[in-house]
Amino acid sequence: MATRTKDIRTDTEELLTEAKAPSQQPLTVPTDKPVAYPLDLPEGEARLRTPAVGQRASRPDGRLHGLGQTQYIDDITFPHMLHAKILRSEYPHAKILSIDTSEAEKMPGVLATLTGDEIPENSFGPTFQDQPVLAYPIVRHRGDGVAAVAAVTEQQATDALEKIKVEYEPLPHVFDPLEALEDDSPKVHGDTNIYTSKTIKKGDVEKALKESEHVFHRQFRTQMVEHVPLEPHASIASWDGNGRVTLWTSLGRITLGREDLARTLKMPQSKIRLIGTVVGGNFGGKNEITNEPILALLSKKAARPVKSVFTRGDEFISSTIRHPFTMDYTTGVDSDGKILARKIRLVLDGGAYCSWTGTTIGKGSILAPGPYNIDNILVEAFAVYTNKTTTGAMRGFGAPQVCFAYESQMDDIADALGIDPLEIRLRNGFSENSLSPTSQTLQSVALKESLTQAAERFGWKEWQE
Amino acid sequence: MKQRGRGMACMWYPIGFTVAANPSAATVKVNTDGTATLLTGTVETGQGALTVLGQIAAETLGLATDDVHVVSGDTDVTPMDTGAIASRTTYVTGNAIVRAAEKAREILFEAAAPLLKVKPDQLEARDKRIQVLGFPSSSIPIAEAVQHSEGVLGNPAIGSASYNPPTVEMDPETGQGKPFNTYVYATQIADVEVDDETGEVEVLKIVAVHDCGTPINPMLVEGQIQGGISMGVGFALQEEILFEEGRQINPNLTNYIMPTSLDMPELEVGLVDNYDPTGPFGAKGAGEPTAVPTAAAIMNAIHDAVGVRITALPATAERVLGAIIEKQEAERAAPQ
Amino acid sequence: MLVEINVNGEPKSADVPPETTLLKMLREDLGLTGAKLGCDVGDCGTCTVIVDGVSVNSCLMMAARANGSNVTTIEGLANANELHPLQEKFEEHGALQCGFCGPGMLISAKSLLDRNPEPTVFEVRDALAGNLCRCTGYTKIIEAVMDAGREMRSGQSGA
Repeated sequence: MATRTKDIRTDTEELLTEAKAPSQQPLTVPTDKPVAYPLDLPEGEARLRTPAVGQRASRPDGRLHGLGQTQYIDDITFPHMLHAKILRSEYPHAKILSIDTSEAEKMPGVLATLTGDEIPENSFGPTFQDQPVLAYPIVRHRGDGVAAVAAVTEQQATDALEKIKVEYEPLPHVFDPLEALEDDSPKVHGDTNIYTSKTIKKGDVEKALKESEHVFHRQFRTQMVEHVPLEPHASIASWDGNGRVTLWTSLGRITLGREDLARTLKMPQSKIRLIGTVVGGNFGGKNEITNEPILALLSKKAARPVKSVFTRGDEFISSTIRHPFTMDYTTGVDSDGKILARKIRLVLDGGAYCSWTGTTIGKGSILAPGPYNIDNILVEAFAVYTNKTTTGAMRGFGAPQVCFAYESQMDDIADALGIDPLEIRLRNGFSENSLSPTSQTLQSVALKESLTQAAERFGWKEWQE
Repeated sequence: MKQRGRGMACMWYPIGFTVAANPSAATVKVNTDGTATLLTGTVETGQGALTVLGQIAAETLGLATDDVHVVSGDTDVTPMDTGAIASRTTYVTGNAIVRAAEKAREILFEAAAPLLKVKPDQLEARDKRIQVLGFPSSSIPIAEAVQHSEGVLGNPAIGSASYNPPTVEMDPETGQGKPFNTYVYATQIADVEVDDETGEVEVLKIVAVHDCGTPINPMLVEGQIQGGISMGVGFALQEEILFEEGRQINPNLTNYIMPTSLDMPELEVGLVDNYDPTGPFGAKGAGEPTAVPTAAAIMNAIHDAVGVRITALPATAERVLGAIIEKQEAERAAPQ
Repeated sequence: MLVEINVNGEPKSADVPPETTLLKMLREDLGLTGAKLGCDVGDCGTCTVIVDGVSVNSCLMMAARANGSNVTTIEGLANANELHPLQEKFEEHGALQCGFCGPGMLISAKSLLDRNPEPTVFEVRDALAGNLCRCTGYTKIIEAVMDAGREMRSGQSGA
């Protein structure tokens, strides 16, 4: 017995010693076949250098993107997974008198339907919770979802949507933001369409305007634009046997998303898991929940994972867009082009629901006077509801709109007074320790440096035309 | 006839949320071979945040970018984060990461100090080593410090922290206050050609100089500026959702015109040399500011080229031509 | 109905309903999720693949029409030992950000360089005009394609 154990141990040791010896044969893999990943490729050099800050390091996901290996939500599938589609409102403002999903439920492949009255807490929103998950009983824009269907294939889900019968009673609607400001305009929510306003006041703007050598006035307007992320919104919901729901989602803010889901589904946060993969473009449009509670509930009903991907049409009509601004700028300057006073009125077309309007109106108002030293400022901003697509966060939160206005007017002033556009900006621009429109002492200011460097690179002084 | 014009626009833009708390939390774990893992609740939305955040963690720990693996976007695993929004990721999440990595590093300094026969506050982490300030030849590899800390002393090198930018509430009537902790600045100058017979505007070149504090990864900041300018060009000249009776009539990419590779001008991008002491290694942010001044610069260039002031975006050929014709008629009607 | 195609050098087949597009077949039946669904109507180019040497929007081509064809997708660009020069240069230049347009963009670029090894910047812009990108502004993409073209011409790569 003892001898046998000793033999076994020796054999094992020999085996282990053999295993450690590196293979003498070079690795050969046929090079003409597709691969999941190339083997043993070095990382970009900048990634290997210290110090790390300031390196032009290549992105690890960059290589995966180039190989087509990145898994976006739509690339993920699960066994028994269903596809969901959303039926959207036919009217810009209406009351739903009835919704009948019984015909849809009988359609081949359909395993679950959902309407707004089935949602435990049918409201969400980053500032005010005025937006429904599925509109019920009032729809406020044509992109409002009113019902959802989960079926085995996407085509079956789309076919089933057509069988859902919705009876609407159209209500008076308002589309123009200036009209929405009026007291007698149709109301989208509650008693007034002005749902948020902001004032910034510094000094005495009326007095300073009277004392100005020249006063310039103009109205500027911007349009509705969409983020157009190349990847449409996508989510997958799935439950486990312990009543825990997991959502794979293109949402850019999963912490907030989990709170929203806990609220709308009336569940504890510890029973909800949100997983965000690489998002195919956000730009502000994927910063709040869209389909997620719907999918969670459909998935629970059908006892299967449910996926939903927005069509490109859905992206336009149902996801958020940028606020159109109507901006009235009145600016008083002295004979040297120094701005003495600036009075601004902003009207934001706020769409059907609040979404990120609170942040947009706040930032827009603060930034509206421009990066200039102005002692007398009045900004009055209003956001109004209209029965159009919800306006939300989009790259800049009001900054691109107001910049268009204040920089256009700057050139108007320069032109009228015969001052070079670069010169007038340097004359008025912020420096270190300048006071902002809210009287904040600004630090790490690099405005004039950006002006002079850009002008130099462009050849501003040498320009001949 | 084609008329050439140039126009400039400058701007300022804040980092973080307006007054409201928008914290980020992070956890950094150092492995026994000197590599590390970073846990962050933010989600990669394409801008390269995870690469930059990894670089910030690496810098604090004295490692190379590739040594840090970044885990993100899972509410079960990663700590809370207010999200990739308001250009806050580099600054707010970055600051949280610096603090978290410093805590992990402190554990390593405590372990390494007696091995190097100095006090912990005499140490720094650099080039994958823990070395003595002012006497770098006295050093040990980070891996050794981790192995000693975890395997001998029983103190794994792990640190968690959070950051929220300090603000002051704005007065409800006058708006006075300190809504943000830092801002960024930029100037863009556009060179355009306007056909005064068709109103078509071609942007030939844009020069952009942006301030983002320290560029943690200059290649990624350039990418943000170039991408932001493309959105700005679309905003200025092409994009518009058209409504009829509350219905969108162009909810598709055939009729919603946005920039293709043929629409982009030649771009020259520069960064201002700036350092913000409140940001991680002096960095501020870059995501949104890049899309802000482009439209204004192009409108000013159109004004320089053909003398018309466009007051409503987008400046489609119809609008520009309409403005040109209006100006010509006004000039004809004006008394000589 | 049975559709047989040769994908990246390998024969593949799937039994699909007649209205299936080539894109859906690649993604759902063959598990090749590199080509993306961005609009489903041929506007955005994220579904671009090469069919018998020509780059096409696979969302506009019926799978049945591709029967018997040679199809190249993004998964077929790299081999076991190296990346295609385009993939290498895209990574080096940081040409992709969110990456969603990437597979389509790379396929269009490959199609260009295969037929025109020395394109001008304008020719690159023109070849990529059907591939929309919202993140990058196209600048680094164009630089990467020009750089890849240079590398392919100098014969430094085997691809």
